[in-house]
This record gives sequence, structure tokens and C-alpha cells, in this order.
Amino acid sequence: MEVRYQVIVLGGGPAGLNAAKYAANSGCEVGLIDAGTRLGGQYWRHTGHEEFDQTVHHNFDQGSLLMDAVLANPRITIHSDTTIWSVSIINDEIVLRTKDGAFITQRLIIATGAYDRTLPFPGWDIPGVMTPGAAQSLLKGQGVLAGKRVVVAGTGPFLLPVASGLSNHGASLVGLLEASGKYSWAKNSLELLRNPAKAVEGLGYLLELRRGKVALRFRQAVVAAHAGADGTLESVTIANIDSAWQIRSTYKLSCDVVAVGWGFTADTAIASSLGLTLEVDEEGAVTVVVDDDQCATQSNSATQIYAAGELTGIGGSDLALVEGAIAGLAVADSTSDLKALKKRRNKLQRFAKALTKVYPVLPGWKSWLSEETTICRCEEISYSDIDAAKEEFDAHDARSIKLLTRCGMGLCQGRICGRAIADLMNSTPQERINATTRPILSPITLGEVAQEGLL
Amino acid sequence: MITFTFEGLPLEVQPGISIAAALITHGERITRLTRFNSNPRGLFCGIGACFDCLIEVDGQPNQRSCITTVKEGMVVKVQRGS
Amino acid sequence: MSQSPDAIVIGAGIIGATTALSLTNAGLKVLVLDRGSIASGTTSAGEGNILVSDKEPGAELDLALRSRDAWFELSDDIGGGFELEAKGGVVVAANNSSGLQHLTAKQRSAGIDARDITSAELWDLEPHLSRDITIGAYYPQDAQCQPMLATARILQAVKKRGGEIITGAEVQEILSKRGVVSSVVTSKGSFSSPVVINAAGTWAGSIARLAGSDLPIAPRRGFILVSVPTTHKIFHKVYSADYVANVASGDADLQSSAVVEGTQSGTILIGASRERVGFKEGIDYSVVRILARQAIALFPFLAEVQLMRVYRGFRPYAPDHLPVIGQDPMIKGLWHNAGHEGAGIGLAPASAQLLSDSILERKSFMNSAPFAPSRFLSVSGL
Repeated sequence: MEVRYQVIVLGGGPAGLNAAKYAANSGCEVGLIDAGTRLGGQYWRHTGHEEFDQTVHHNFDQGSLLMDAVLANPRITIHSDTTIWSVSIINDEIVLRTKDGAFITQRLIIATGAYDRTLPFPGWDIPGVMTPGAAQSLLKGQGVLAGKRVVVAGTGPFLLPVASGLSNHGASLVGLLEASGKYSWAKNSLELLRNPAKAVEGLGYLLELRRGKVALRFRQAVVAAHAGADGTLESVTIANIDSAWQIRSTYKLSCDVVAVGWGFTADTAIASSLGLTLEVDEEGAVTVVVDDDQCATQSNSATQIYAAGELTGIGGSDLALVEGAIAGLAVADSTSDLKALKKRRNKLQRFAKALTKVYPVLPGWKSWLSEETTICRCEEISYSDIDAAKEEFDAHDARSIKLLTRCGMGLCQGRICGRAIADLMNSTPQERINATTRPILSPITLGEVAQEGLL
Repeated sequence: MITFTFEGLPLEVQPGISIAAALITHGERITRLTRFNSNPRGLFCGIGACFDCLIEVDGQPNQRSCITTVKEGMVVKVQRGS
Repeated sequence: MSQSPDAIVIGAGIIGATTALSLTNAGLKVLVLDRGSIASGTTSAGEGNILVSDKEPGAELDLALRSRDAWFELSDDIGGGFELEAKGGVVVAANNSSGLQHLTAKQRSAGIDARDITSAELWDLEPHLSRDITIGAYYPQDAQCQPMLATARILQAVKKRGGEIITGAEVQEILSKRGVVSSVVTSKGSFSSPVVINAAGTWAGSIARLAGSDLPIAPRRGFILVSVPTTHKIFHKVYSADYVANVASGDADLQSSAVVEGTQSGTILIGASRERVGFKEGIDYSVVRILARQAIALFPFLAEVQLMRVYRGFRPYAPDHLPVIGQDPMIKGLWHNAGHEGAGIGLAPASAQLLSDSILERKSFMNSAPFAPSRFLSVSGL
């Protein structure tokens, strides 16, 4: 089965939805491909029950309106529950393969979003330890509370909506921990002050939490998780950390869920397969390089590939929406004036950059590791296995460690451990870029691969 | 409401719910035991990226319980090893 | 030691590592150089095959037979730790047109333990094999190892016994004085030695040219499919009889035949494809499809098994598909040990032994003439 579209948008979150809408409204026939069952991506994950969905989202109307517009647009065909397992450029066309065939286009917009950035720590593999995104997706997408006594920890503004959502829906939020210092906002206030709407949003969450009597504690982090007799989470060790994230003192807290997150990581594997130029930012994140029109750089002149949203740099949903709009207009060769959109985008990008300075991830997290800490969850490789490989084999780069210990060779193919290993091994930018290559984007049966008609 | 079995026990859930979410509402958080050390694992990233919440569905292993919707009559078991 | 070792080995892959070990064990101070990290070339893309089954009688089979035993000797010498296993190989065919029995007879006369087996014995060895496969041969001598671990452990032994390894050292010049090699200039310094060994695999031609010589070694691309970890259902290396023909063929177009085996970690590896497309970037999914099909034809259960990842390597091959082992015809002291195509892992210890024997002027286990670099002289017009 081969389906061709004038424009294909990959990803049904804010960036993808807006890209599809603007491209379609400019006259393009658009195919929107989304791995999820419902549109919305992670940000607007919802159950489909309107009343409930309103209670878990800060501003669901915005998302609701956009999703309805996309659903109603006659020029947009939506393919949900559709996973791309590989991509190629063949005869000047972009081929996106699924288990049923392929989608083909010459104009592609990649808006596949991001997932929580994770750091290993002792006990992080115990059931009950999860990412903030997991707690959010359970609540927003399933209407299910992850647990009863919850600790939310890590760094970044995302912790606030996660915590307030859980608290508002009946969880006892026994800890809300931010690794950064209380005054890091002040040090980076100029850019942040230029974005008062964001400040109001943040304050809003804090007030909600105050009403629930949850205190946001700074310079604290979960440094170990402990299991009970049944093997699931029972308690955590929380540390007071200094400005280098070294542990000063600790205390224990019982809980059944800890949602720990350290910002986000975008999956650039598709971009890598298509030969798009990638770069690495100061945080070690691999991003897709795009020009002023959100157009990526690649060698095939007959095709145009755009990237919008977290893939070009983590920046949140408002930025994703604007980037999506620009990409949608650009892919359609629209004559609309993009100046206002680009101005807003640039402003939001500056805000996002400033935010990373407020919520950096510091290397001190490595000091929390113990020899037994699992680093590669899939293959059950511990920190001591990595140390042994470094010692015994003089291995100093992430690739050698991967080949010697099997770290990153399991089912998640490095999505979870890859960035942490790159940090542990001090990978160079090029090594980080090389490590995100993943020719098989998602597992697919050999039978499905072997099918007739596969391009 | 629809019914499926987990480790032989019938569980009643709302249609449209994921296996992981369904199990969590019934207090079950272990979806598998790892293949080398038999360590318990469950939902971690919740969005299909980490492959930790793997579970056996109707005899098929390696199903991501966080993105697999429960269907009437599904036979779900803790995945042991691979 | 570093500035003037007794021997310099260029290439820290399996060939360079075994060569370095062989010379180190003979008492030489060896320096191993690599522009990347260890095993960063074709070695880490290998399956770890140590086969006698896939070769017709001839010099390469003699080398393979010796090398297979040499692997076990090497393992004893350095204390193992690289998953060396006498797994055994099963070669299969759907019908008699492959001439499998003809091949096994020839192989037996060359000293290989090649056993024709009945269908019943075949399905006993591999219960999940398709019942369309009725003809088989069993090679108990075929073995397997983990090439990355092997290279790493061998180089550790080299270090412990007085050798040195410098990674991240790109060779920029290989200097000679009056036709005798004298030193190697790299991005991490210059080193002089009367013995320089080119073990740069697929890049051995470039290294030879830096010295003012040449070697017609070209890349032959291959893909390996890796399944998700699964329950063990495949117990030996299993491959189809047309594998042998493919190995020996020189066609530019794709050659592919099924090679399937399990690993200790539970994944299943599927090969083997051979293409002359230069150092082409990326994955050709039409080849991936062919490999998947061929594997399913052997083991129908694989249709339900998920593919987890695909990786690619460039096998180094010479025009006559034989490795190059010996002294450079133009430059004294410059030695080559390269071009092992898809048999690098298997042939490594014996190639190393053959080369060391030549360097140290010792009697060896076979005549190295069939592998001599000088055989290309008339071809290249030097």
C-alpha cells in the first residue's frame, strides 16, 4: 500500500497540528501521520471525555479548537495509530514505511516532539519510579492517578503542572523538589521578564499547589529509590544538594510513586536517517538545524524537509505552535507575511534558552550513582559494568562502551540511557550526533519487513 | 465496562484504557521480570519510548502495556525474561 | 618504548590485535596505532564467525582450519572472556542443486569434519527449521566469538605483556629510506621502526598508498539484522548452501544468502549480503527485506519475531577474494595483513601467526605464497 501526499506532517502534537492546518489552509493536500490513537501529542494528551479533559489541562480550549479544526479540514487526512519504522529518500521522494506499506511525499514536516530526559540513580528501575510525562499521560490520557503518595522531582517548569494535576485529582503530593536554586530565576530575569504570560502561568501553578499545601522545595533531589517486599516502590532518599548538586544531607520519605524528570530530549533518529544536518547545543542535546523558514538542510534538492517543535530545540508548546505555523506556510510556498510569526518565534526561542539557564542539569548527578545503579535498563548493565569496561579495556568513548557492555543495545535502542551515557563518557558533539542514528525507528516483525511491495 | 484477565484473574475496566493504566487502577505495577536478573519492572516513561513496561498479551511477548489498549477477553500475563 | 618500538601495527581491529599479540608473545615491543578507538572499523560490524564450512578446499581453507584451532589456543593463552563457543555450523539446502554433498566430500579430503546428515538429523539439530529444508551438512568445527570483546581482551594482553596501544592516532605519512621503511608519522606523534604492519582492513589501500605502495583492497558492504531478544530457538550457525558461492563471487550486484544464528544475549543475527557500492552511507532497505525473507524461509517462526536494529559494515576484499599476508614487494619492512573480506575474525590468529613467522623468518604451518602482496604486481602495473 503506497499513499502519496503533497505534504506529509509527522506528529499530531501542537507543532504538527498547526503545520498541517496552515499548510492545508494554504492549499496543500496534507497527510498527518501520528503514532497515537488520539491527536494532541504529549502536550494535549486527552481521554476524549471533554469534562475531564478540561480539568487536567491549563488551557484545553486552545488544543481542542485546533484539533477540531484539523479533524474538520477536508484537505487533511489523518492517519492515527501509525508508526513509521524506517525512512529513505528514493528517486527524489521521501518514503516513510509502516507495517502496511509506505507514505510518500516530496515535502515533509517532522514534528515528532520529545520525551522526558532521564538520569539514572540508585533504584530508578523499581516499578513506581517514572517520568513526570508518565504521570501526566496516565492522568491526561487515561484519567488514572499514578499513585496515592507522590513525589515529583527533578528540574524544570514541567514539574509544576504535573504536580498540580496530581494534587488536584486526589493524590497526596508529599514532595515537590526542584534541584535548581530558589534565586536562579533572578539571575536570568531579563528574558523571563519579557515574557510575562509565562510568569503568570508559572505563578498560577504555584498558587494551586499552595492551596493544596504543597511546598516547592529548592536544592533538593531524589537520589535513591527503595523497594518494599513486593519489589515495588516504597520510599525514596531525598538529598539537600549544593550548587554543584553534591549531596549535603539526606532524609527518607515514604511514597508509592516518584515522578522524576530533567527536562526533555527530542528523538532525532528520523532526521538522522534522512541525512538532515544536526547540531549539539550547550546542554549536549542533539537538534535539527533549520533556517528561518523551519527548513532543514539536506542534500536532495528535489525534496523539502522541515522540522518544527521540540526537534529544533526544546521550547514548549507555544513555540511549537509558532514553528509549526511557519513550517506549514513555508512548505506551501505561501505568500503570507511571516514576519509577525517569526518575531514571536524568536522571542519564544529566547525565552526557552533563558529557561535552560535557570534549570541546567549539572554533572553532580553522577555523584549520586552507586556501583549497582542500573545504567542501561534494557540490558541490565550497571555502573560497575561500565567502570570495569573502562578500566579493563581502556575504553574512553561511548561507542566502545556500548559495544563492550551492550549498553544501549536493548529494545529502547538508547532512547533512555543514550544521553546519560554520553554525559558519563563526555562524548563529543559528533559522537552524540552519531549515537542518535537508528535505522530501524521502531521494532517491526521480520514478516512485515519481508512483505511484497516494500520500497 | 470490559473484562480481561491478568495472571488468570479477571479485571473489569473502562473501555479505551491502556493495559498499564488498567493494571495500576487495580494496584498492579509489575508488568515483567527482566531476562538476566528477574528484576521487576513496570511503567516508566508512559509514552512508548522506554520499552520497560513490556507485558505478554494473548501469548505475544514484548507488548508495551502503556500504549496497548485493553480489549475484551485479552489474556495478559507478566512477561518473564524474553 | 613508544618512539622506537620493534614493530608498529596500523589498525586496532581483530587483525591488528592478533598480529600484535603474536609478535608480543615472540618477545617484540609492539606499538598498535588506530585513528579511531579499538575495533572501530569492520571488526565491530562482524558476527564473530569462525568457520571452516564456507570455504572450498584451497589455501584459504587451510588457513581457516589452522585458525579455528588457534582461536582456542589464544583463548587459553589470554584467559578467555569473549564468548568463544564451538557452536557448530549447519549448512542447508532445499534441494540437491546446490551440490552440497559434492562440496562436503571435497572438504573432507582437505581435513574438514564435514558430515552429510539426513533430514531427520537436520531437524533434530535445529527443530525450528522449515520442513522444506531437507538437505544438510553439519560442521562441528564451526565456532563463534564476540569480536569486540575478543579485540579488547587481546589488546589488553598485548599491553600487559609490554606492548602499547595509541588510539585516535591518524597515520599521515609512512616514511622509508632507500626502500626500507623507517617511520610512521601520525596526528599523535612520529614513531620509528624497521617493521611496519598494515592491518587497516578496508582502509589498507589508503595506508599502502601513504607508504608509496598500493593494495587493491575495496569495500564490500554487508548488513546484519538483529532481532529483539527472544527465547533460544536456534542452536547453531545455520546458513544456506549458496552462501559459499556468494563468498567467492565477484559480481557487483547484490549477493545475498541466509545466515542465521542466536547469540548469548538472546538476540538473533541475520545476514548476509554483499554489495560493491563503495563506502555508501545509509541502509538499503530492499536488502533488509531480502535478508528477512531468506531468514524466514529457513525458520518460519521468524516471521513473528521483531527486528530491533540493523547495522552495516564494509568487508575488505582483494580482487581474488584471498587475504593479503606478507611483505610489500616494493618497500622492505612494510608488511600487510589485510583483505580478509567476511572471514576476518575467523582467519585472524592464523594470519597473525603466518605473518609473524614471515617477519621473524621462522618456519610456518603453511606456505604464505598464495597470500603474497606481490601477486598484484602484474595487475596494478607497478
